[in-house]
Amino acid sequence: MPIHDLGYRPWKGTLLGAVSRTRGIAAAGIRLIGKNRWLRRVMIVAWLPVLYWGIAFFFVGQTLEQPVQKQLPQAIKQVEAAVEAATGESIGSEQTILQLDRKAAADRIHNMFHWIPRVHLLTRAVRNAEDDVQARNYIWAWLLMSFFRYSQAVLILMIVGFVAPSLVSQDLRSRAYLLYFSRPIGRLEYIVGKLAVPAAYIMFVSTFPALMLYFFAILMSPSIDVFWTTWDIPLRISLSTIVLILPTTSLALMLSSLTEESRYASFAWFATWVLGHGAWLAILVGEAIRQGLQPRNAAVADSEMVKMWSPLSFYNNLGDVQSWIFGFQSFSEIMPAFFVLTGITVISFAILFRRVAAPLRA
Amino acid sequence: MESLIQLENIVKSYRSTTALNNVNLDIQPGITGLLGPNGAGKSTLIKIILGLIRVTEGSGTVLGCRLYRDGRSIRNKIGYMPEDDCYIPGMTGIEVVQFAGTLSGIPTIEALRRGHEILDFCGVKQERYRNIETYSTGMRQKIKFAASIVHDPEFLILDEPTSGLDPEEREALLNRIKILSTQNNKSVVLSTHILPDVQQICDQVVILARGQIRLNDRLEVLNQTTSPTVTVRFEGDRAEFVSRLKRARLEAKEIPGSDALQIEGSTNDLTAQVWKAAGLANVAIHSLVPARNSLEEIFMQTVKEASVAHS
Repeated sequence: MPIHDLGYRPWKGTLLGAVSRTRGIAAAGIRLIGKNRWLRRVMIVAWLPVLYWGIAFFFVGQTLEQPVQKQLPQAIKQVEAAVEAATGESIGSEQTILQLDRKAAADRIHNMFHWIPRVHLLTRAVRNAEDDVQARNYIWAWLLMSFFRYSQAVLILMIVGFVAPSLVSQDLRSRAYLLYFSRPIGRLEYIVGKLAVPAAYIMFVSTFPALMLYFFAILMSPSIDVFWTTWDIPLRISLSTIVLILPTTSLALMLSSLTEESRYASFAWFATWVLGHGAWLAILVGEAIRQGLQPRNAAVADSEMVKMWSPLSFYNNLGDVQSWIFGFQSFSEIMPAFFVLTGITVISFAILFRRVAAPLRA
Repeated sequence: MESLIQLENIVKSYRSTTALNNVNLDIQPGITGLLGPNGAGKSTLIKIILGLIRVTEGSGTVLGCRLYRDGRSIRNKIGYMPEDDCYIPGMTGIEVVQFAGTLSGIPTIEALRRGHEILDFCGVKQERYRNIETYSTGMRQKIKFAASIVHDPEFLILDEPTSGLDPEEREALLNRIKILSTQNNKSVVLSTHILPDVQQICDQVVILARGQIRLNDRLEVLNQTTSPTVTVRFEGDRAEFVSRLKRARLEAKEIPGSDALQIEGSTNDLTAQVWKAAGLANVAIHSLVPARNSLEEIFMQTVKEASVAHS
């Protein structure tokens, strides 16, 4: 008998409410999934793009946010100084290129990021910006949107594919649902707790680094007051994360609830992405061939045919809604994508609600 | 005494199958054995008591809460140990019990402390730090039992708690259940096929067959024979002893597989009459114990009657 064995003693504490139970489900899930060595490696890899985007923020800051005079070569500066000494007038400028010439700034941006798709959205926005504050907002928002869309999206696809498929299917296989539902836990708490697991991992590789990049950009700015003109960007990051989390995790959990074998759910998850995007790419390439243009040409992407079938791709839908959140497209432009994502979320939740309690009804 | 569970005219149908048909049940504090053959409707009845599924017809209360509508309140007060293995792969024994406590609403750190305390009570030693997938069936039974009592529920539903346990562990678990009932005022429903378990610790017995309650009574009442009866082991002239008993108007029956006799009388001084007959027949009595109805016979008889009634 253990030396501390006191026999059975009544427990006199107060039981906590539904929120703490949901948090308990989430915490246990995060801890258990975190034991997966491969996932830990993917998580480390998922932080590497932050370096690249950090450098991008640095160069953008150096090129567009520094006074024009500071960017001139030393020889020209010496000439300027000589002219200033002779005439008594300054010919240099303490203004930034964003303040002086937004068209030129847009061209520089285009040269810097011409290989990233949708850069035309940014150059258009910068050209049309009312002032340098708005232009800066567009640039930061676009960089962060690109961070979400072009590096993190694929990593998030992989992470959700690692994390979510086992969350419900494993409970069905090991009958752990009895452990949950024989306690004062409803389907909502169970589902929210399970959703929080992939959501936490998504936030870890998208929201947190995005916020870090944003604060890095502030630190790289000429003045910390930039925060007061860019305060909406953290909100856009948060909203973008929600858009990323809801449809992806609900779909992945729904697939997980349909089977006791998590590998089938995992396969279905990757197949949904690959088939949808693959079908859209086939249409895009077909259209490019028809028009005699390169598939990367913006005219191909903007053609009616390609736009009409764009909602086939989960990736496109997420990207479209995020570009609306970051202010680069109007709602009417992304409406199909918005409704497809809403539909996926609602249908997934409806099936999930039914499936998680199905074994109890049997 | 106030009833813990009161069910009235409960009907539960799954499409064309009626799992429970007009069930009326009244469970008193103490330990109640829930018996029934496979497919009798025990699991459905337990799910209804836990408030996990709706009834098709009928109403009832569990610990003063309304069926299904107050499901959460009911489950707050009940500890349920399922028959099936249910565990979360990757967790250690202590983590499972702690997690069960957290799910019941115990703060995380307190759930860990409580988990250790309960595992001590359940006789789980250092194995608690091993992954649950590596446990034997008996160990998993202990963990399930610990998880069901970690939040100190006032009422326990234990589904086949001793299956897979060796005789020593079975005895220990029954003893723990008895301690919970007698020293800690917990009421227990014990759903099992192992009749000696029921005979050993239960106060009340409910037999469910073909979706209906066929018998619900206190075990001491069920064990009583209709007329005074004793079982006698003796040494001496068997024929002479039986003859003397007949003369005294006592009925002696052979017990199959035993050399003892079961003697039934109509008066309360049966014991004295048996001693007198033994003296006259010159036989030595080795033991004389009051006979009781066997639970196995009662169960078999009840199930048989249910089958006949159904056909």
